[in-house]
Amino acid sequence: MTSFQSTIGDEEGIAEELAEGQREISIAEFFEKNKHMLGFDSGARGLVTAVKEAVDNALDATEEAGVLPDIYIEIEEVGDYYRLVIEDNGPGITKEQLPKVFGKLLYGSRFHAREQSRGQQGIGISAAVLYSQLTSGQPAKITSRPKGQSRAQYFELIIDTDTNEPEIQADEETTWDRPHGTRIELEMEANMRARQQLHDYVKHTAVVNPHARLELREPGLDEPMKFERATDELPAETEEIRPHPHGVELGTLIKMLEATESYSVSGFLQEEFTRVGKKTADSVIDNFRDVYYGRELSWSPPRAHDDRDIASAVSEAVANKGAEATTAFAAGVAETVGNNDRITRSELADIVDNVAETVEDDTGKTFGGTVRENAVDAGWRAVTGRGGADEEAAASSGDGGADDPEESPLVPDVYALVDEATSTRKDDAAVQAMAEALARRFENLDGDAFRTTRDDLERRVADAASFVAEQHDATVGETARENVVAAFWSRARTVPDDPPKVKSIAGDRDAAADLLEAMRTTDILAPPTGCLAPITAELVEAGLRKEYDADFYAAATRDAEVHGGDPFIVEAGIAYGGEIPAEASVELLRFANRVPLVYQRGACATTDVIKQIGWRNYGLDQPGGSGMPNGPAVISIHVASTNVPFTSESKDALANVPEIEDEIELAVREAARELESFLSKRRSMQQRREKQDVLGRILPEMADKVSEVTGRPRPDIDGALARIMNNVSVEREVNGEAVTLTVENHSDVNEELEITDIVSAEPTDLSDGTVVDMDGEWFVQWKPEVPSGDERELTYAVDGDPEFEVSVGGVETEKLTVND
Amino acid sequence: MTTESDARDELIDLAADFYDQFAAGSIPEMTLPTRTKSNIEYDEESGVWTYGDRTSTRSANSVRGARKLLKAAYTIEFLANQLDDDRSSTLRELYYLSESWDNDEAQFNSQDESNDLVEDLEIVTGVTREDFHMRPEESGAKVMGPLLLREQTNRGEREIHCQLDVGQGGYQIPNNPDTIEFLDNDAEFVLCVETGGMRDRLVENGFDEAHDALVVHLGGQPARATRRLTKRFRDELDLPVVVFTDGDPWSYRIYGSVAYGSIKSAHLSKYLATPEARFIGIQPEDIVEYDLPSDPLSDSDINALESELEDPRFQTDYWEEQIELQLDIGKKSEQQSLASRGLDFVTDTYLPERLGEMGVI
Repeated sequence: MTSFQSTIGDEEGIAEELAEGQREISIAEFFEKNKHMLGFDSGARGLVTAVKEAVDNALDATEEAGVLPDIYIEIEEVGDYYRLVIEDNGPGITKEQLPKVFGKLLYGSRFHAREQSRGQQGIGISAAVLYSQLTSGQPAKITSRPKGQSRAQYFELIIDTDTNEPEIQADEETTWDRPHGTRIELEMEANMRARQQLHDYVKHTAVVNPHARLELREPGLDEPMKFERATDELPAETEEIRPHPHGVELGTLIKMLEATESYSVSGFLQEEFTRVGKKTADSVIDNFRDVYYGRELSWSPPRAHDDRDIASAVSEAVANKGAEATTAFAAGVAETVGNNDRITRSELADIVDNVAETVEDDTGKTFGGTVRENAVDAGWRAVTGRGGADEEAAASSGDGGADDPEESPLVPDVYALVDEATSTRKDDAAVQAMAEALARRFENLDGDAFRTTRDDLERRVADAASFVAEQHDATVGETARENVVAAFWSRARTVPDDPPKVKSIAGDRDAAADLLEAMRTTDILAPPTGCLAPITAELVEAGLRKEYDADFYAAATRDAEVHGGDPFIVEAGIAYGGEIPAEASVELLRFANRVPLVYQRGACATTDVIKQIGWRNYGLDQPGGSGMPNGPAVISIHVASTNVPFTSESKDALANVPEIEDEIELAVREAARELESFLSKRRSMQQRREKQDVLGRILPEMADKVSEVTGRPRPDIDGALARIMNNVSVEREVNGEAVTLTVENHSDVNEELEITDIVSAEPTDLSDGTVVDMDGEWFVQWKPEVPSGDERELTYAVDGDPEFEVSVGGVETEKLTVND
Repeated sequence: MTTESDARDELIDLAADFYDQFAAGSIPEMTLPTRTKSNIEYDEESGVWTYGDRTSTRSANSVRGARKLLKAAYTIEFLANQLDDDRSSTLRELYYLSESWDNDEAQFNSQDESNDLVEDLEIVTGVTREDFHMRPEESGAKVMGPLLLREQTNRGEREIHCQLDVGQGGYQIPNNPDTIEFLDNDAEFVLCVETGGMRDRLVENGFDEAHDALVVHLGGQPARATRRLTKRFRDELDLPVVVFTDGDPWSYRIYGSVAYGSIKSAHLSKYLATPEARFIGIQPEDIVEYDLPSDPLSDSDINALESELEDPRFQTDYWEEQIELQLDIGKKSEQQSLASRGLDFVTDTYLPERLGEMGVI
């Protein structure tokens, strides 16, 4: 037993010792042990990872400098090795920065910052440098030309694997044709077996960074792959934010409490967290009081007919203040108390203070602290039958309840609430028994003020209920118990006590946990999204348009949401048809903070979400109704966050975080709805064409046959054909709240139509037209004139999922096709 | 009814209707009564059930409708030519013959489709398919009894006595019984029998001779020719008609189609139905009274009985009482279950008792 305890006490020391030991492992050894996590577990993959890290770095560097990225990637075979060259047009790099950026593993300021950026763990490019050095023995060769300088600087950098310290081996001036930028050259043991993944990575990077120009040369390509930019707009600049109260864990909170310079909890909350002002801090503190101190139960003060009398109780408690002042004080307290339906001890103390001050002003007598305390005790005794030092005397005097000295004055009060909370089904004896049992349990609360936390209240109610069940054979079910708890809790009051100071919470794990709970239960505005740079739906679509020759594109950007205090935004895009191969399952492009994810598709949350969507509803083929859909489609999903949760350090797959999965689903469904309406429109046009084809063949044959049978010349069937083919179509499209009726006139005359849409919810934002409310049904009416070969869109907005019924007048029914 | 040249004219008129619709610039269409249970009505005057006022339209506005009308045009041509040549063909032959048409779209996909189309043409033109010279695959059933008739056959006239000139099988009813002329008879009543086994039992026991009965074999759901001939026995020879079937819901429908007309051919009810025909048994009440061997009602039997309670043709006190009783006892019995009382029970006891009750003998 003792040894176990001493272990716990020494825990911190042991951890430090272990950490010390770990530092003694050489960096090479560390890399060797962890290379699967870092994405360098094979030569094929190592090359892709190195390209990925270097390109991510280059994109970040150029964007930070406000330059549209122009990135060149080259892979060459050099003897037994491969040489990787990445050039950017960024701001270049100084000799001082060099070791920090390229040299030291696990260096990087981003690990602590809450800001959206590509390289989140600060592990990337330095791992590539180390990998190249370990496999080829060659240093990293870096050329840099800061803007405005006439010459470039050439460095060779090697990492001392014993000390994890970078060393600059060469430093000389050189010439370079780029006006500014950085070039890094790495030689490594590798192979091109992952060529497809490499191409995918570069192509997908182009899709998701439509503002970047990319070029890739590698030995297997006859022509370099070039990706031109689709926009000159740089992504919005991001800013760092403080953590959000909903996003910290207990350990982090304690560290923050220890480190803060704030003295009060309110100051701490406002200083260290985003979205917390004075008001929010107060709400958090109120919630904190409720969990830390508990609330005070409130009780009904005695009414006129009760034997308990506050005025006389209070006046008895006051001595030596003169009859006039005493009476005024007692009457004042009694009257104010009487104005309250329910009262807590703290509220009574407030009342006593207020009345005492008034009476002091009026009479010149002083009501000191002791007198006030005695008055509160006496008054509280009159309300609840308990309080102060006289408790035993009061109980034994039998003054309060001559008929039933056993019954506490709390019982009728408890009875009233229990009766109300348990509704009508309970018989009176059971309610009475429950009230008595519960009142006894309230009597057992420490102190006079009946302070209890919600958990404690629940426990007492449950305990009373099981007592009643045992003794009186009357069940008080879970719902009834919850109602009883709610009845008391909602009438209990938050205590006025000041919350403990930051220092003492920092030293008290339970108090810190209470504070965390209070932070989590308080409604707080979602974190600001200035720290995020979504691509925007428009550019998601532009990116797809640029790289995929399709018939249809759609994209959606969701509003920012929060997971664990980190804001995130999900965007989705879909391209369909055209040159996209139709045979296999759809292509899924996954992006996190604008970085394509190439490996571990099966382990990714995005894949899981796509698989569980019912794609048949959206017009894609999905064998068995679940799993990856088939067809000529590309789905792209981008998650931008200050902290993208990955399944591992190699950042290949998004972890299954429910909040993020929900948003992915909503974004994909939003884009998919557009796809569905495109496909259904295309289908209906196709059916229309097929109908025209078939009828165009059948009707002349039928006409021939009837003329043969009747022996008359062949009739002119153009009129009949025109009537069938050249019709007016009315088609409904519902997109969220927006309802669009598209009227197309395929006939050769102007059509004056009267279109009435009967909607079961109130429509707003009408495109001209009129609306009439008919007893909960709204008749929306337009009278459009549609010229031959033209179309009109009639729109309005409507909430929820209403029913529609459209009727069209002004055109013969056989000329009308309604697709409702 | 119609003559052959009338039939041809009616068909050509229908084609001319389509022609005129084309010529007027409108979409060809053909309107038919809706052929469902809810659209048959009792005709007070004739005492049979015919189609009500609801109609369906086959229009060339849709691909399906246009294909149907194209097939109709081809079929009209075929039927008109057949009438010109004084040939005849079976419904099945029509189905196969469509394969030879020059237009793939006009060919029938199934025999049901061609059968339905011929019925549509009957309804629209008011000409029976017999007058189109179309006949069903299986011919009418058989008659045995004291009747002398003359039949117009392809090979000339034949005079036949339906007891003396025929074998044990009886006289075969031709496809178009309107080619028969009744010459003489000693018959007292007509007994329509559902199953072949029971018919053979009656003939073997000499029931037709003993009671001067015309025993008509229905053979399940009776062919049009059988129903037509039964109606002619009633109308022209003034003979009472009784129907003898199994005691189950499907057999009541057989009785229904003899007496009231069937839903599919309600347009011909006045020509085919014998509203005076009465049901002799097996009645649910007989199952109880004679304690007949029985089978329990299956779910589909119960559904059929309940659907009959809603069938306008069965909404009479007699049928409601019998059907409710059957649902109550939950049993059904076959005609031949009467053999449990001996082979002669049906001819010596059951039928004479029932016919007596009904006042037929």
